[in-house]
Amino acid sequence: MSAILAIGRPQLKSAFASVVPLAIFLALLGYFGLRAPGFLEPATLILILKQAIPTAVLGLGLSIVVIAGGDDVVAGGIDLSVPSIAVLSAAIIADQLANHGSAAVTAVALGFAAAIAAGAANALLVTRVGMTPLLATLATSTAYIGLSKVVTANRRIDLSDPLIVTLRDGSILGLPLGLAIATGLAVTAHFAVHRSRWGLRLQAVGGNRDAAEIAGLKVRRFLAQSFLIAGAFGGAASLFVLARGSGSTPGVAETLLMETVLATFLGAAFSPRRVVTVWGAVLGAILVSALSIGFGSVGVDVFWTGCIKGGLILIVVAASALARRSGT
Amino acid sequence: MTAPVLPLTPVSPPAGASDFLVLEAISKGFPGVQALDGAGLGVRAGEIHGVVGENGAGKSTLIKVLAGVYRPDAGRILLNGAEIETGSPDAVQAAGVRFIHQELNLVPHFTVAETIFLGQELSGPFGLRTGAMRRAAEAFLKDSLDAAIAGNRLIADLGIAERKLVQIARALIDGKARVVVFDEPTAPLSHTEIEHLFRAIDALARRGIAMIYVSHYLSEITRICHRVSVLRNGRNVGLVDPVGPDDADRLISLMVGRDIGDLYPKRNHAAAAPWLKLTSLSQSPHYADVDLELRRGEIVGLAGLIGSGREELVDTIVGLARPASGSISIDGRPLRSGSTAAAAGRGLAHVPRDRRNDGLVLAMNVADNINLASLEAVSTGGFVRRGAATTRAQQSAEALDIRPKTVSTAARLLSGGNQQKVVLARGLATGASLFVLDEPTIGVDVGAKAEIYALIERLAAEGAAVLVSSSDPAELLGLCDRILVLLRGRIVAEVTPETTDLDRLVALTTGGDAAGGIAA
Amino acid sequence: MVGTQHFWDREAFNGAVDKVKELGGEVLPVDGGRDNQVHADNHDIFLTNKVDAVISILGDAAVEPKFKALQEKGIPVFTVDHLSPYAINNTTSDNYYIGTTIGRYLADSLGGKGKVAFFNAFEGSLRICGIRAQLAKYVLKDYPGIEIVQPELAEAFANAPEDARKKTLDLLTQYPKGTLDAIHVACWDQPAIGVVQALEETGRTEIKVTAVDAGPDTLEIIAEKDSPFVANIAQQPRKIGSTSAENVAKYFAGQKLLPQTFVDVIPVKGAEEAKKVYAELGYGKLN
Repeated sequence: MSAILAIGRPQLKSAFASVVPLAIFLALLGYFGLRAPGFLEPATLILILKQAIPTAVLGLGLSIVVIAGGDDVVAGGIDLSVPSIAVLSAAIIADQLANHGSAAVTAVALGFAAAIAAGAANALLVTRVGMTPLLATLATSTAYIGLSKVVTANRRIDLSDPLIVTLRDGSILGLPLGLAIATGLAVTAHFAVHRSRWGLRLQAVGGNRDAAEIAGLKVRRFLAQSFLIAGAFGGAASLFVLARGSGSTPGVAETLLMETVLATFLGAAFSPRRVVTVWGAVLGAILVSALSIGFGSVGVDVFWTGCIKGGLILIVVAASALARRSGT
Repeated sequence: MTAPVLPLTPVSPPAGASDFLVLEAISKGFPGVQALDGAGLGVRAGEIHGVVGENGAGKSTLIKVLAGVYRPDAGRILLNGAEIETGSPDAVQAAGVRFIHQELNLVPHFTVAETIFLGQELSGPFGLRTGAMRRAAEAFLKDSLDAAIAGNRLIADLGIAERKLVQIARALIDGKARVVVFDEPTAPLSHTEIEHLFRAIDALARRGIAMIYVSHYLSEITRICHRVSVLRNGRNVGLVDPVGPDDADRLISLMVGRDIGDLYPKRNHAAAAPWLKLTSLSQSPHYADVDLELRRGEIVGLAGLIGSGREELVDTIVGLARPASGSISIDGRPLRSGSTAAAAGRGLAHVPRDRRNDGLVLAMNVADNINLASLEAVSTGGFVRRGAATTRAQQSAEALDIRPKTVSTAARLLSGGNQQKVVLARGLATGASLFVLDEPTIGVDVGAKAEIYALIERLAAEGAAVLVSSSDPAELLGLCDRILVLLRGRIVAEVTPETTDLDRLVALTTGGDAAGGIAA
Repeated sequence: MVGTQHFWDREAFNGAVDKVKELGGEVLPVDGGRDNQVHADNHDIFLTNKVDAVISILGDAAVEPKFKALQEKGIPVFTVDHLSPYAINNTTSDNYYIGTTIGRYLADSLGGKGKVAFFNAFEGSLRICGIRAQLAKYVLKDYPGIEIVQPELAEAFANAPEDARKKTLDLLTQYPKGTLDAIHVACWDQPAIGVVQALEETGRTEIKVTAVDAGPDTLEIIAEKDSPFVANIAQQPRKIGSTSAENVAKYFAGQKLLPQTFVDVIPVKGAEEAKKVYAELGYGKLN
């Protein structure tokens, strides 16, 4: 009698799929270092990190939705509206501060309330109405952008409120303040998702919905929570968006969306379990920002940069699809 | 080689001891079917109690009643003398009844420890106590299931047997399990792996846990179980106590025992030249070295349990899957594997087992479904001639007696039998010369079954080659000229209805046949 | 450079780049793709590359912290069309003259009375736009018969012609024939291309269009027979770019620079003047 044994080809493919993105990035970073002398210095690192903040904070929210919904790109968890939520919240805060003379606390509270409400609307559409997250958040994303245009009349609003200036220029223990706060958020999110009881259950819901139900977990509640949390991170990101731009500017959501999605799924390629993780999203955001600065430093045309980033999304998503095919 | 000897000595629970779990006179009906009709079950602490029966005998309904998925129409469930609420999965869980489902349902990127502790994690002020959970998981696997699996390994890296053990450990980790129900636990496992699983189950029995073991594999049932309840048509037809290695025949005769009658048409096939030919077709881990010849005008059956590789073999023939080695040829010319389009181009019509998802476009009407695969016959220059299409569909609907007769009815509104006739009509409309029918009568009522059988018979009489894959041995015996039996991925026998009765065919598919033995 | 999507952007950029190369310098070009945030972030690249000087064209307040960081690192910043306390010099058109002149021309085209809609998204966020829009309004104050439609329109920064075309179509449904007399684009003229398209599509060419910049593309529209586009102020973007580069050279040569260098503008009124200015600025010949 012979047990019919599985053969080893899938492992090879999966190893290939995991090495490719990492190799590409290391090669690119090395190339930047050679071509642009200042690229590998600590000051540059700080700049890269600072530029990565809004994307990273949005990536925290998006990664939690993906973790809870599963990383199937079409049917799984995705929230395309997180950047729009940030832009809407930023618009409200800027409008309140500049045009209504509100106190910073009031303005921020209103912005956050809108962000949470937006997250709740997503949660409702997905868990109660039963829309696929992709479609639901694509639709709400358009609506949130539209709302932000109503609030700002599609104009830029300059801000010089002390809160925004402090967040932009302040520092704590030698670290830029924004960076310190973002790091705090990332550590908290990492602990909640990867080190806590709740987080393990959240991962189970996304990893295998049937398994989660058998373990007695309330699947819909976790899904709804993930969208609410994403909304909250959208609200948090709005402050960084305001600080970075010294005000609210129409039209930033598109770039943010592309970079956030890229960062989040890029992170999966570097995770040992080949899944979307919180710290992976942060790492992804840093890499995306390193690429932007790197390409600029060696004088690559901005249109090419967009093209190359799109190509990278393709490679990463393809690699994760390959890993999935050979996985189970 | 011979079947391996079981390295364990079943501990008999005290004879005559009172049953720890009792399912009493359970009845459950569904529209059109009385799934359970006063069936019962008594299981002692420390006993492994087998439940056998043919498909549709009521095994899975009984298990779902116990699980609280279904609320029975009549009857009650007692655990240690106390009645537990029916129809409530939570109450059953709280009472200490655990289910090891056939599907593993694990998260591939979780570690063993995370999987086992999901839902009852160990947590401290600094979050999850990863180390503690890993050690506890390893200790539990070792002590309770006699298994050495590192707690930090990923599920995706485990073999199927190890995953099964992790699944069991997850059900038992809270230490409150008093009854464990196994549903076909060995289906995906190899023989060595089965031995490992049996050691674990035996270890549980020694700890006094009552176990229900549902399986089609009679050779396993007779080796591991202490007693066996046999169900037929929703009723208990026998309790074999104690059960021993020689009781397979007795179980089979209890399970079968029904009259086939004249459900099946008379066979009258003139054998022609070979049409479909499989040569040493293999696809690990599903099937290996399959040879098969099918002639025009002939109906050949494929028998085998779920997990025997039968489904995968059919998928390969119709182009849904690619074999690892071996070849398929039709009419002497090789067929490009892994392409349904290539297969269809060579005159192969496939009637899938899951007709609602794979066979029909439910949102389309009957006429469109019938014409779907042969639109060129009713089109001019890429445009479908609606009139011609409807007329042709109408004709074939009448020929096959599809009801309702209006072909503009949406396919989703038809009964199962009529849906299946639509799928067959589509195959007929393509003028196919080779039909591969996968579970052609599953979920179809008896009246429609007879019509479908007559239709299959007509296909063969008109010169088509027909391959029927079915989990119903009686159906194969009634319909086919020859039957090939798959067991654990290999063809173990080829029989004809003239020389084989139902008992023997069931014995062959379940590996409970001493003469045929297990695939060697 | 904030973007290279249209004529003004490209010319100012090329003017600066060509002049730097002519003077023997090396250029590290970056392009914000008409996204002010990307434009601002691009300044970080100069910081890491330790360039000798930065010429920064346009940009909103998001660049200020970047200028400050460059200044702290001892890298001198020269701006074009952007006033900043951290810059050595700002080279720009005479925006005061632009604002008052286009205001007068607008009033003239209306015959002193009527309703005018303003595309005015950047009055609050870009200082050059504030000057141009507010001085035009200052002139209009003396014409009590002229009314500015409220609320003002806000055009997009990127892909402006198409965006403005849609917004104009909406505006025209809101103001049926006889209720709107002119549309003024207060700070540039890319949206005016879309505005004229929309007017021609709907046959509302009785509405006059005025704007600021007058590159070859808009001069061609003004030069057309019976064009609704009646007045513009031509800037010299290439000269602005090269002047800024020259200022960098002067700075390194130790010369003292004024905080602002102004480059002349040429008012354009009607088709004939458009043809004349087109030839004068070396764009070719229009018939």
